[in-house]
Amino acid sequence: MNMNTNSPVVSVEHLIVKYGEKTVLDGVNTSFAASEIRVILGGSGCGKTTLLRSIVGLIKPYSGRVKIFGRQLVDMESDADAEVLRKIGVLFQNGALLGSLTVAQNVALPLEMHTNLPPKVIDEIVRYKLAQVEMPHAYSLFPGELSGGMRKRAALARALALDPPLLFCDEPSAGLDPVTSAGLDSLLLRLRETLGITVVVVTHELLSIEAIADKILFLYKGKPLFDGPYAQARAIGEGPVADFFLRKETK
Amino acid sequence: MDRARTVKAPAFLDRNWVSSCGLISGQQRGRLVLDLSGTERIDSAGVCFIELLGRMYHEQGGQFAVQGARPGIAKQLDGGKAARAVVTAAPPNEGLFLRLGGGLVSAVGVAVDAISMFAEMLYWSTIGLFRRQDIKKGAVYEQMYQLGYKAVGIITLLSFLIGVVLSLQSAIQLKNLGMGIFLVPLIGITMIRQMGPLLTAIILAGRTGSATTAEIATMVVGEEVDALRTMGINPMQYIMAPKFWAISLTMPLLSIIATAAGIFGGYVIALLYLDFNTSMFLKELVKVIKLEHILAGCFKSMVFSWLIIWVGCYFGFRVRGGAEAVGRETTSSVVVGIFIIIVANAVFSFIM
Repeated sequence: MNMNTNSPVVSVEHLIVKYGEKTVLDGVNTSFAASEIRVILGGSGCGKTTLLRSIVGLIKPYSGRVKIFGRQLVDMESDADAEVLRKIGVLFQNGALLGSLTVAQNVALPLEMHTNLPPKVIDEIVRYKLAQVEMPHAYSLFPGELSGGMRKRAALARALALDPPLLFCDEPSAGLDPVTSAGLDSLLLRLRETLGITVVVVTHELLSIEAIADKILFLYKGKPLFDGPYAQARAIGEGPVADFFLRKETK
Repeated sequence: MDRARTVKAPAFLDRNWVSSCGLISGQQRGRLVLDLSGTERIDSAGVCFIELLGRMYHEQGGQFAVQGARPGIAKQLDGGKAARAVVTAAPPNEGLFLRLGGGLVSAVGVAVDAISMFAEMLYWSTIGLFRRQDIKKGAVYEQMYQLGYKAVGIITLLSFLIGVVLSLQSAIQLKNLGMGIFLVPLIGITMIRQMGPLLTAIILAGRTGSATTAEIATMVVGEEVDALRTMGINPMQYIMAPKFWAISLTMPLLSIIATAAGIFGGYVIALLYLDFNTSMFLKELVKVIKLEHILAGCFKSMVFSWLIIWVGCYFGFRVRGGAEAVGRETTSSVVVGIFIIIVANAVFSFIM
């Protein structure tokens, strides 16, 4: 996939998503540049997770389109879409590790499915990825034996297994204590610095946003209310964006 | 114009007073005034009761009013209204034809979904394998062990017992008629063509069908299926294809084991009750069993195996919600699985 270095990694155009009659996303336009950490935020039920799931193709939009690396996902079962999907990693809210496989088998799964690497090399990569997320001891554990934070780290190792240039994280800090959450934030920053990947994070954790965000996309009732640098968002004096950062209820 | 009826509410308008005041039952016509001047406290039941009374009187052409509410109580009543204002309105009461039509449309939708799932299962487990192989190495053997080998014990035992019961009941009648010799063809053909495949299928529908639905539904609820999709792995092929091949290969073998166990049950009864000896039983058995009977039994069990895995996967993938939905779909899977197998067996009895 040849991409112009200036062209956006993800572009969302006039995206409308409905659940039955209810419009969840109402005409979202945005784009994410390479190597940035973009945080999608907003109050509960504003459509953050729906936007992320629409971008990665898990939800079919009512109208509009999403392009990843210049290509629109049409059918996730198609070979063309599989090619794009190999270039992204997704960290789900609860990790979504396959419960019947060990942590190592989970991390190895995308490598076994999408590469012809010898098993020994795959095993070496698995150990490397687990070390990257500071989880080498969890190699032979099952997901059910891990704590919430460990499960997310293991899921992150799996999401990074194929060295994707684009990583999506759905509420990585949800349900974690502040220390574990901060650890995960610094891990994401380190990954961006070392691998230069683009990270898209859905969250409403203020501390996380402050720690990692380059730019933010603020959703309010399914519409983007602010799309720009974090510092600019913090300078806004009134309205839902300011209320969000001041932890005030918007009237 | 009717005179207004005034009811004085107690100091604490709570759920006990709401249940005993009798204002909800009967006709809400005329004018009712609820006097809250003596009311100091009100609970949620009281707030909702007043709101409901107002609505009921309005709908039935009557008038309802509240008087003398203290500021704190009035604020609570306004809060109740505000809370309900954002609640979605209840669906309108639909007519019979509308409900029948809705039910029909929904049933057609379910049938289309189920058929498309069957087509996808066949495609991704056969032709689709030439396009991509999203199957984990050794998954088919693992599934053969789980779905097939682990069921051998229970299938053998139950088939043996069914063979014993069937033979005993038949032997009593046949002995009275002096036709005990016919027990062998009766039990032999019944077990090979009917009971062997059917019994195996019913046991596997309960055992494997429920396990398949529960496993897939848990994966759907835990976003594991979504995770597979975003990794570019086809979940249909990854989950269904190993199960499809495992059950397709093991079920005919299980069916043969069940048939043999059932016939052995008949042999025991023939030996103990009808004074047969081993060579006599085997001689009669060989005489009646033909290759076509065995092939028919194997073919049936192969089709049953597809139905079991289809139903199991269908209910697993369609789950929406949480743990409760997993249990509900698993129950439906077993009930529908057994039902479909019995219907399919009836169809086979006519055509084969």
